[in-house]
Amino acid sequence: MAHVSVPMYWRTIPQRYRLVGQKCKKCGAVNFPPKGVCKYCSASSEFDEVQLSGRGKIHTFVLISAGGAPPEFAEQEKAGGQYPVAIVQLDEGPKVIGQVADADPKEVKIDMPVTAELRKIYTEEGVIRYGFKFVPATSGK
Amino acid sequence: MAVGISGYGVYIPKLRIKRDDYAKAWGSFSAAGVSEKSVMGYDEDVLTSAAKVSRRALESVPLGPDKVSRFALASTSAPYIEKLLSGTVVVSVGIPNSTFTSDHTTSTRAGTEAFIAAAEHLAANPSGNALVAAADAPRASMWDSVEHGLGAGAAALVLSGENLIAELEGYASFASEHFGERFKTREDELLHDLSVKKFSESSLINSTTKAGTSLMKKLGRKPEDYQHVVIQQPDARVPSTVAARMNFTDAQLSSGLISKMVGDLGAASTIVGLAAALDASKVGDRIMVISYGSGAGSDALSLKVVSERRATVRVQEELDRKEYIDYVKYLKIKGAIV
Amino acid sequence: MKETDVSQGVLSRRSGLCPEVGCLGKVAIVGAGQSRYGEFPDKGIKELFFDAFKDMASSVDNGLDPKLIESAYIGNLGSGGFQLGNMSALVAEYAGLPHINTMRIENACASGGYALVAAAMDVMSGTHKVVLAGGVEKMTDVSGMKQKYWLGVSGDTEYERLAGTTFAGLYALIAHRHMHEFGTKREHLSGVAVKNHRNGSMNPKAQFQREITLEQAVKSPIVAYPLNLFDCCSTTDGASAVLVCDAEIAKQFTDSPVYLAGFGTASDYLAIHDRVSTVTLEGTRRASATAYKMAGLGPKDIQLAEVHDCFTIAELLAYEDLGFCDKGKAGQYLDEGHTQLAGDKPVNASGGLKSKGHPIGSTGTGQAYEMFHQLRGSVQKPARQVKGAEIGLVHNVGGSGGTVAVSIMRR
Repeated sequence: MAHVSVPMYWRTIPQRYRLVGQKCKKCGAVNFPPKGVCKYCSASSEFDEVQLSGRGKIHTFVLISAGGAPPEFAEQEKAGGQYPVAIVQLDEGPKVIGQVADADPKEVKIDMPVTAELRKIYTEEGVIRYGFKFVPATSGK
Repeated sequence: MAVGISGYGVYIPKLRIKRDDYAKAWGSFSAAGVSEKSVMGYDEDVLTSAAKVSRRALESVPLGPDKVSRFALASTSAPYIEKLLSGTVVVSVGIPNSTFTSDHTTSTRAGTEAFIAAAEHLAANPSGNALVAAADAPRASMWDSVEHGLGAGAAALVLSGENLIAELEGYASFASEHFGERFKTREDELLHDLSVKKFSESSLINSTTKAGTSLMKKLGRKPEDYQHVVIQQPDARVPSTVAARMNFTDAQLSSGLISKMVGDLGAASTIVGLAAALDASKVGDRIMVISYGSGAGSDALSLKVVSERRATVRVQEELDRKEYIDYVKYLKIKGAIV
Repeated sequence: MKETDVSQGVLSRRSGLCPEVGCLGKVAIVGAGQSRYGEFPDKGIKELFFDAFKDMASSVDNGLDPKLIESAYIGNLGSGGFQLGNMSALVAEYAGLPHINTMRIENACASGGYALVAAAMDVMSGTHKVVLAGGVEKMTDVSGMKQKYWLGVSGDTEYERLAGTTFAGLYALIAHRHMHEFGTKREHLSGVAVKNHRNGSMNPKAQFQREITLEQAVKSPIVAYPLNLFDCCSTTDGASAVLVCDAEIAKQFTDSPVYLAGFGTASDYLAIHDRVSTVTLEGTRRASATAYKMAGLGPKDIQLAEVHDCFTIAELLAYEDLGFCDKGKAGQYLDEGHTQLAGDKPVNASGGLKSKGHPIGSTGTGQAYEMFHQLRGSVQKPARQVKGAEIGLVHNVGGSGGTVAVSIMRR
């Protein structure tokens, strides 16, 4: 079981629940998830918070079968079969990884538009960890 | 000043299971009139669903989440029995941390409880906006016939003093002591129902008719004034039984009778039913909503439709977006195979 | 060469000593050993490391007095599952070296490669003259669940792991994009597995010593689409040890030492989504560029290589990022046969991680072990010997590219 402590998970709630990103004050690029130093200009540690829309396109994806599933997701895979995980190119610029939900694995494609929504990610220490997953953009927000 | 519904949103999970698959597994299916029901996905729960319908309801106005001054959440199947449930939803949706939130969780009346709490807030804060989210996916033991009809779904309403789709004309309630029907003690994870059928039914009829009748008397209305009547739906037949006692017709029930396709939505039953009635309504129509929660209590709401504006995502769209699963997959997803 | 150029600074003071062995000219490798790689319920990290140590000692032509070893850098990720602190001291004392400088080097699957670099820097700094670089990993003691924990937490844990991936999933994301951008095919991925299994079938120390057919590889069950079972290396127990020394004293140990001509290390964003390109390991590009520069060589000078094929796609990426072929052309490069054992640039003559195994902390120094014997003509089974090879490259990657160590060795 990957151990992500309760405080460690809690610290990322603005990103996980609402996709809050950081806009570099110097170069204007959006960093998501956050970094100490802007990834794009490497010249600034000052950011403005920016609310990302959660919309993007699939840049690449994998279909995880039982052999490729970490223990936290083993039951999910057994109950529901193969699940897609994608790196999504968000409209605002950054790319981020996330599971794809509510989609037939056979219909997931590179360049498919998706949007983020709140889902249950996993449970550890009896605490439910919620976060974003991506759903096909056509299925409504 | 008139207050009422300025926006609404609904979500039905797409997985469905047919009554026939139950009959194959158990030899029978107990929920009268329900032909299929909805199933919450493995990585969803009532909080993720509440967040989703809250966003939809706000977008249907449209209203920014920062303008919400009151939040009320209703569910009988939240994943925690002690933990501030609203916290997850308000942070996910972007509602201000300073908003007063309330969690309503102890019976299937919770949806209208939350509605009335929101209405009371607006009476004191006429320029505010209240968000009510009802999301439920009740669970019982797979051996228990009460389990058969339990479905999953969510709906949210924005209540405001302006930009109304439907005005709230008034509300009334009835609460009393009753027991032995649907209940869950602190030790239980799963619902019980002692199945003392007539006894339970009499409580439901008593509570709903009292609340509904007292509201109509207060407002000077007659049963035929309502084009749409939404009554608590533990199955698709109970509403008819209540309707008959109050001189409502089955035709008045039809727009809100979602349980036929989704099963028993618990605390979300009347709110999703209300959304369906709104979708089907015309300007000038009146809607009566009567909830019931065992133990026991009812609220009755009377609404009048004043605008042609409707939600962007219709209940019928949500009903039509479906994927059937069989009983084994149902057991796996519900985590019932231990 | 300016004194202020960090990578060259030390070298410019040393390069006069052994000019025939390239810019570096300071560091020699005079012995190398490896345990068998596989699953050994009867051996823990101490026993495995000792096996490698003994094998290394027996490979020193003029014999080894272990008391000469002053320092040891030991690559290890999981501490055998029980020894969170001080495992380097533990395995060293078990092998008869209780009081030397020991440091555990941890850079995920690149730990061994970095241990070799640490040993080189120790010698180059003049601090020690005889230094052990080794690695050990014990992966099969723990439950399946705990094993999968290891297999997933050297990528980005917060986002990549919690999105539901282990390494197979991450490399699959790279493979899928590579196939999408460049038309790389399933047969290219499987071709790597077939080649490496054929090589490994001739390696008595490999975990898997049987050939597989292309059809078997192509049809094996999907683990993380597009990667299937035969695209993925296994979990392995094993250890390796390489004896590094000041080039000036190399001839004490052997008449045919191998020299470290250059090395480079570079890191990258752990999460693939943070990287500029999904289909390039920037760590490999930069580490190899540094190594080439230090050695005064280029990709075309490399005659054979041990690269990090934890997944078949990783070997294809290595062809590109090490400069053997252009970006996107790895499939074609494989098809043309360059990297087969009989080709002009054999890659993974040992069987690679795929067939030889991947005991995480040991892999990098295990690659150096193979290269040592290849360059001296002393490979355990002659059928695998690449003849006349003088310049070889070892490439060791941590995680999905978060850390990379490249070393160039020459006769």
